[in-house]
Amino acid sequence: MTTLTATFKDRSAVAAWTREHGVYIALALLIVYNAIATPNFLKLDTVQLLFSQVPPVIIVALGMALVIGTGGVDLSVGSIMAIASAVLAKFVVGGTPIGLAMLYAVIAGLLVGVFNGLVVAFARVQPIVATLGVLVAGRGIALVITGGALVELFVPIFKDIRLGKFLGVPYVMIVAALLAAGVAFLVRRTAFGYRLLAIGGNRRASVLAGLPVRRTLIFVYAISGTLAAVAGVIATARLRASDPSYIGLLMELSAITAVVVGGTPLNGGRVRILGTVTGAILLQLLESTLVSHNAPDSVARMVEALIIIAAVYVQRPSRSSR
Amino acid sequence: MKARRRIAVAASAATAAALLSACSTGSTSSSGSTSGTDASAAPVSTTLGAATNGVPAAITAAGGTTLLTTPKPDGVEAQYGPICKGSDLGIGKIDFTKDTIGWAQSEKEANPFRIASTKSQVDTAKAKGWHLLTTNAQSNVQQENSDIKGMIDKGAKAIIFSPINSTGLGDAIAYAKSKHVAMVPVDRNITGVQGCKDVGPQLGSDFVQQGRRAADAMITATGGTAKLAILLGASGVNVTDDRTAGFLDELKAKNATGISVIFQQTADFTREKGKSVTETMLRAHPDVTAIYAENDEMGLGALAALDDAGKSGTSKVHIVSIDGTKGAVQAIVDGNFDAVIESNPAFGPAAEAALDAYVNGDGAPAVTITTDNQYDKSNAAEALSSGKAY
Repeated sequence: MTTLTATFKDRSAVAAWTREHGVYIALALLIVYNAIATPNFLKLDTVQLLFSQVPPVIIVALGMALVIGTGGVDLSVGSIMAIASAVLAKFVVGGTPIGLAMLYAVIAGLLVGVFNGLVVAFARVQPIVATLGVLVAGRGIALVITGGALVELFVPIFKDIRLGKFLGVPYVMIVAALLAAGVAFLVRRTAFGYRLLAIGGNRRASVLAGLPVRRTLIFVYAISGTLAAVAGVIATARLRASDPSYIGLLMELSAITAVVVGGTPLNGGRVRILGTVTGAILLQLLESTLVSHNAPDSVARMVEALIIIAAVYVQRPSRSSR
Repeated sequence: MKARRRIAVAASAATAAALLSACSTGSTSSSGSTSGTDASAAPVSTTLGAATNGVPAAITAAGGTTLLTTPKPDGVEAQYGPICKGSDLGIGKIDFTKDTIGWAQSEKEANPFRIASTKSQVDTAKAKGWHLLTTNAQSNVQQENSDIKGMIDKGAKAIIFSPINSTGLGDAIAYAKSKHVAMVPVDRNITGVQGCKDVGPQLGSDFVQQGRRAADAMITATGGTAKLAILLGASGVNVTDDRTAGFLDELKAKNATGISVIFQQTADFTREKGKSVTETMLRAHPDVTAIYAENDEMGLGALAALDDAGKSGTSKVHIVSIDGTKGAVQAIVDGNFDAVIESNPAFGPAAEAALDAYVNGDGAPAVTITTDNQYDKSNAAEALSSGKAY
């Protein structure tokens, strides 16, 4: 750390550097700790497991990053996962070909996302309130669709989704990486991306500048809903069952955490995609680490809380940089 | 999943309130799980208690004082006095053709146990022509308190309820007492009460005994040698503590030193957690040879993880779980589970009979423990075809 401090002129620069890179350092430290302390950690198998468990979080967090970039938040993602899972189960059980059923599930997520966007854009309801409504109602809808119970789904393709690998990398991780690249392109290289960040920076100014604010917001929430639905399909394939009571439960908070830990400010105007992906991996690895080490529930909760508090502390806006 | 959830709770924290709630969850659960571990470590006998007059401590806590030797009805394992009469609490007779009865379920009817539990109550009420109100507290103890009070306010003369936990419903119980409403807890017993003075007849399963029987089944299945992982239920719930304490105590009592517990982790009674925890566990402890799951759903989650790892089948990893749901009993038939200890959810007829005797008849025993079946290779197929597995 001393060399780092020397490189920077003052403490706020250190703070800014930590904010930008903290998540990578944290992940590196956690990997080093595991390499030393966790049995079998450095095996391909273990890495493959991590990469098969983490994609739903990454995918949901990507959509969340965009929403947070506009200065909003989408609390409905977990419930959208449940809805997508329930829709998938309904159609599969009804005999619809699996590809079509998966498409319908994703469309269901898209529609809920569009609904969120419409409410936020036109009714001018605070995003946290609008999506909170869907968070509560959505899981109820999912439960109604499946009749409340867990539905087992024995679909051959689910096994490929769960276990399939290309050059040793699980398909689902490749999907997550491609989606991350797509979202990064959207943010960095398209007019839509600039508009999104402009709205997050200052919605009023964006309106005054004549930007299509409403249309952009609807798009952003639609993307978030769609990505959540994709994650819901993957989670269903992983469990080989649709369990609308639990699939995606509290995923909104995991996703927000991944985004914030990854260095995206909660008040909008900036989006960090690689940081978000790294944040999601960090959270998943942290969970596996605690499980591998047989940490009692109580200890696990405290360790996690401490790490999060540290992350949030680092992310706090400093006086000089704001 | 859960760990992530917990993290997230804290992080949503941008607000201090969320941080506080994360801390308080942490501490509550720590007390819950600690008591479980402690009980399992040494003084299990005090939890179960061979205690006074052959009455286990758990029964004493639920208000039972003496083991009744009178003939037991079908499906009853044991009954403990005193005999409760509604009139002792000033509860009048109930006309089941006119009066309203309430049913308060504790958790979402999402897993087979809860579905069967509510179905049993609703079916019994239908058959008897009762006016039945139903509520579901969605795992929230405050919700259950207000659900029960709400039904009393709507005129319910009796409440049959499945407590979320053995403690925490004092508010609703006191309210019912003040309104002279009959209270019949089923499944989990209300503890810290004096027999018949706070609630009416209690009907429950003996969760400690379920844990003991699971241990016996595990010893039989593994021949007494295993590297064992335990998937614990939700933290801070007495069912989890009882099933853990009974299991570990029985291993000790049977001197099963060949079974070493190499892993213990909560999987929240859900299939998803059961799967993800088992996946991670299999990487850190690939040598595991047996899994004790404190409910069927976690066991089935573990099976899904084993299947993905090419390790399913009792010849590779033994599984014993508790509940008796169709999925788990089918897994015995398929050769993936060794045994399933039943936790009978169908309290409807017994609750109806106990309530009737309590308010209109000669009274009902303070605590009744229902009989739980046990399934293994010898009777699993029959349990499925006869519909005994729910």
